[in-house]
Amino acid sequence: MKTKQIIGFSLMYLLSVTVYSQDKSTARFGSVTEKDFTPKVYSIDTGASAVVIADIGSSQIEGNTKGWFSLVFKRYKRVHILNKNGYDVANVEISLYSEGDYEEQLEKLKAVTYNLENGKVSETKLDVKANVFKDKINKNRVIKKFTFPNVREGSIIEYEYTVTSDYLHNLQPWEFQGGYPRLWSEYNLTLPEFLGYVFLTQGDKQYDINTRKDGIESYRVADGRSIGPTDRVQFTASVTDYRWVKKNVQALKEESFTSTLGNHISKIEFQLSEYRHPLTYRRIMSTWEKLAEELMQADYFGLQLTKDNGWMRDIVRPVVEGAVTPSEKAKRIYAYVRDNFTCTNHQRLTMDQNLKTILKNKNGNVAEINLLLTAMLKNADLQADPVILSTRSNGYTYSLYPLLSQYNYVITKATIGDKAYYLDASEPGLGFGHLATRCYNGHARVINKEAPAIDLNSDEITETKFTSVFIINNEKGRLIGSMQQTPGYFESYEIRNLVKEKGQEELTKGIKKAFGADIDISNFRVDSINKPDEVIKIKYDFEIKDEREDIIYLNQMFGEGYKENPFKSAERFYPVEMPYAIDETFNLQLEVPQGYVVDELPKSLVVKLNAQDEGMFEYRISQSGDNISFRSRVRISRTYFLPDEYEMLREFFNLVVKKHAEHIVFKKKK
Amino acid sequence: MKGVVLLITTIFTVSAALQAQGEYAASKIPPPLLKNADAVLRLEDMQFEIINTRQTVTKYRYVVTILNGNGDHWAEYSDYYDKYRSIESVEGILYDANGKQLKKVKKKDLEDLTGSSGGSFADDDRIKRHNFYYKAYPYTVEYFSEVITNGTLFFPRWVPQGGERLSVENSSMHIVCPRDYQFRYKAFMYNREPEITFGKNTKQSTWSSSNMMAIVKEPFSPLWHELTTVVIYGPTDFELDNYKGTMSSWREFGKFVYSLKKDRDQLPGNVKQMVHQIADGVSDPFEKVSRLYKYMQSHTRYVGIQLGIGGWQPFDATYVATKKYGDCKALTNYMYSLLKEAGVFSYYTLVRAGEFSKYITADFPSQQFTHVILCVPNQKDTIWLECTSQTIQPGYLGDFTCDRPVLLIGEDGGQLVNTPRYGINDNLQSRYIRGVLEANSTLEVNTKTVYSGLQQDEIHSMITQLSKEKIKEVLDRKLDFPTYSIRRFDYQEEKRFLPGITESLGITVSNYASISGKRLFIMPNVMSRYTSKLSIDSTRNFDIRLNREYRETDTVEIEIPAGFESESMPVDVTVDSKFGRYNCSVKLEGNRLIYFRSLEHRGGRYPASDYRDLVKFYDAVFKNDHNKVVLVKKDGANAF
Repeated sequence: MKTKQIIGFSLMYLLSVTVYSQDKSTARFGSVTEKDFTPKVYSIDTGASAVVIADIGSSQIEGNTKGWFSLVFKRYKRVHILNKNGYDVANVEISLYSEGDYEEQLEKLKAVTYNLENGKVSETKLDVKANVFKDKINKNRVIKKFTFPNVREGSIIEYEYTVTSDYLHNLQPWEFQGGYPRLWSEYNLTLPEFLGYVFLTQGDKQYDINTRKDGIESYRVADGRSIGPTDRVQFTASVTDYRWVKKNVQALKEESFTSTLGNHISKIEFQLSEYRHPLTYRRIMSTWEKLAEELMQADYFGLQLTKDNGWMRDIVRPVVEGAVTPSEKAKRIYAYVRDNFTCTNHQRLTMDQNLKTILKNKNGNVAEINLLLTAMLKNADLQADPVILSTRSNGYTYSLYPLLSQYNYVITKATIGDKAYYLDASEPGLGFGHLATRCYNGHARVINKEAPAIDLNSDEITETKFTSVFIINNEKGRLIGSMQQTPGYFESYEIRNLVKEKGQEELTKGIKKAFGADIDISNFRVDSINKPDEVIKIKYDFEIKDEREDIIYLNQMFGEGYKENPFKSAERFYPVEMPYAIDETFNLQLEVPQGYVVDELPKSLVVKLNAQDEGMFEYRISQSGDNISFRSRVRISRTYFLPDEYEMLREFFNLVVKKHAEHIVFKKKK
Repeated sequence: MKGVVLLITTIFTVSAALQAQGEYAASKIPPPLLKNADAVLRLEDMQFEIINTRQTVTKYRYVVTILNGNGDHWAEYSDYYDKYRSIESVEGILYDANGKQLKKVKKKDLEDLTGSSGGSFADDDRIKRHNFYYKAYPYTVEYFSEVITNGTLFFPRWVPQGGERLSVENSSMHIVCPRDYQFRYKAFMYNREPEITFGKNTKQSTWSSSNMMAIVKEPFSPLWHELTTVVIYGPTDFELDNYKGTMSSWREFGKFVYSLKKDRDQLPGNVKQMVHQIADGVSDPFEKVSRLYKYMQSHTRYVGIQLGIGGWQPFDATYVATKKYGDCKALTNYMYSLLKEAGVFSYYTLVRAGEFSKYITADFPSQQFTHVILCVPNQKDTIWLECTSQTIQPGYLGDFTCDRPVLLIGEDGGQLVNTPRYGINDNLQSRYIRGVLEANSTLEVNTKTVYSGLQQDEIHSMITQLSKEKIKEVLDRKLDFPTYSIRRFDYQEEKRFLPGITESLGITVSNYASISGKRLFIMPNVMSRYTSKLSIDSTRNFDIRLNREYRETDTVEIEIPAGFESESMPVDVTVDSKFGRYNCSVKLEGNRLIYFRSLEHRGGRYPASDYRDLVKFYDAVFKNDHNKVVLVKKDGANAF
């Protein structure tokens, strides 16, 4: 790609801190006084670079002039910037949805910076006309952005705006939490009885204020789009005012082993469920069965699977030619789609092009590729259905509600005999019946007549790794050995990619570096490197070249041990979400080096992670004559741990690291 | 006349070739070009036509065969457009292995994306992008595009091999211009003269190259133009927007840049007042500059806004004074204006920024810059000011801009000078560690580390950009211990010309040593272990370029549980090589383990034949840094 040449493209030190858009307090626009500048730190977070004094949003529904209703979202926010590191809150981006010529309207934007100058509050207003920039990100998203003028350490900034949207399904959600602490976060919603929305709340559900009040509103709807006199309707309807307030909300923290922080943010979302009287009743959010039926009828999803795709037979026939069993046919089709189509977008639930075009273009989003796979399997008279899911980074889904917006991925379920296989042809290195770890995020939904729920639970996948090493003395009195290793499926997948990109030498280099002794490697082999359905097998012989000192200290894990605790941090705020369970075994048979005797062996031990035996560490070593047998096994069979259980995990791995660092000591025979 | 005929023949040949089916069949690639290649550039033909100083037209055709998945990125078409540059037409064709045409796309089929990137808040860059996403290898794509550019400040460069693992069958570059127009060029790794042909009113110069084998980069390789053919071009007379300039010398180019920023230095009255309040009566020039710089740092912030000519022209000083923000140009011009008000002269200075972008063709003036800083001439030491940082010390430049030629912009034009280079006596890390090893093999350790020069850059960024909580999060993650917790941490900055930072840490390390039965294993090098290891490539092809120079020293004292004596102590080591000097020593005095280490790492350029020695040097450092001391219970003492 060519880069434009301009000066000023580069910023000296750039640190990106995510700005989360949010809520409010008792503050009102323009009411900043001298004493608001008094606090230099806030007790909620003494290290914070900025504190959100108030973030207040409201949504309501109004009749519009297009014969229907619009959503009106208002937002007010005040932030106290305490030091330079908080300057990023002065850059504001407002995301608007657009479709064709229509774009959600940003209106009534006001933004003011307040500073204390000689004991008096001074105001600097944003020049909205000249200093609001527009960036069209893609065909459905426009960003309007501005930055506050005259910002310095200690500034208070505030802004408010209104976004009007014709998309009733786009009722703005509210996040009570973000990158900076919030003293007051509030959301107000006025819903008329004729529109039904489902409320979805997440995270801590303790609100400081949580009220609802019933009332009456009048609505005016006009339709001026047709030629002739404008149609006008006016009516009153019962409404409910909701108000949610959270005070003193801590900032979010980033931690490892979290699928997405989005799972832990305290927030509330809405989903349009139905139109009610006086509108013509219409169920918008249906049951899973109905939704599945609709999806199967939709041209952007299932319609092409049920159609008689005569032309597809010509594609499928050569692929399955010669395949006898249904399983063989399925595997051929899967490999064909995987190996010939490129996935251009791994977060998509619907098709943008039809099957014929995909076949011609040889690329598509994940929905397109796996729907093509489903269609081809069906065409070959196999039982196959699409499955929709939400990837780990996209957050959890609610199995109760059929909310399509929560889903971002499509895979295929193939049923052969009485066995179900979950297939994903969007990843080049993935094998038949294997899914990437991102798909294991709990609830997923099969899209067919019965629309059954399935559970893709990371507890159910185990990375099983088995290593075995034999070492003996050769005729010259040197230690020579052989190593055989079968990594788990996901590690095999990674090694395959490494070898594909960088070559096999990269793998041997890594092994040599980690080995801990100076070795020569021979007969290096990786089996099944081109069979993505299987795990790989690494085999090699080696000769240890280290000098023969009077005392030999041998770490018998040979680079295979845990050198670092995966849970380094001493504290934990959110649950640990591991991608899979693990079970790793290392076996060694070692002949005592010629001319030496064993002076010291590490102590054996076996520990359990907890009383439920959801993990264990076995470290057994024994000597019989000139032969030392050693075995290490690390097993963790659960993948989700609460913050309370964190210390237990950390201590467990602390012990593993400690034992894996121990040595066998040999002394030269006198 | 002859020239015209030749030109027509060329065009005819090319189009005839395009029509022939199978021309781009992968089987027609000469076998030597397959070696080490992920993709082969079959044909590249760029014609850059200078209509006049206001307009150029670029017609670009290329055909590339992708051999495997690692070469896929060569198949993507991507080009930017903005106020001055429009993409008139694009045509893309996909061919299969046999050169059979599979698909064709036009401009309307391309993706249209924002070109805004990380460092920029608002600009007018947009991108047209396309990809066939084909993956039946080998396959071939062909793209043809026509781009019209208004203005002539930016000339293309010709780099047939755009990167490693790409071989080139045929590539050519034509510059077409009015007969009386002089453009300039500088060629690297290309020792022929261009072929010149003449049209009616035009002159065409052609560079071409064929059968270039794929290059595989090596660690510490020299710059790309030292490895393969690169020709850069530049205008003489040029225009940008309504500004005119000439690029015949740095001096002339400087005049142009000066004209863009001229008369943009007026400050509002209140700021002028402030300047005098701060600077009047301060006699020491450095002190005066420092005070005004700190005022600028605490009253502005960086916001990148580059629209239209704003990519080149700074917002004026009044804009920055009222808005309190700007990009590098605006902030530098603002600082220039503050100094001017205080009677201090300075230079607005163009620089090509980036740790690995130190190169400028000193003998070939052309637009190669990406950033602006300020240079204040001073009798003793020139004072350099990075105006986009709110925290950096006056006079200091980090890796981003140090040690390279930069262009000072004055009223009488440009002048190339070098920014300071920080060497082995500037970039220091001195560490003192005291630790107590408990009987349960936990190490309670207190460290004090003094960093200076480039060695402190990263820590400076961390402590000035992160809150205490975030610093703790970083420290909780980044230290090289298996399991540990930070008890306390503290950073003190020494704000001087060559800045320094003193870091104090209190750390509890679980199982630092391994105590099993009667023995104790411990690594005396607690925190300065060299982590990378090179591998010996079968043959080294290119010179070695080592970037950074630094010196590290470590003094460690660890109190160990009573009753141990040494069984195996690493021997003292001194390694002297042309790349640096390393030594370490360890001894047990009573129950105190005392360790000393120093590493001097030199920069510079070395012949390829030195590579083995370099690997040996790094290996020795790596190995000795990881040495363990083995202690054993004295006779009669109880085992744990």
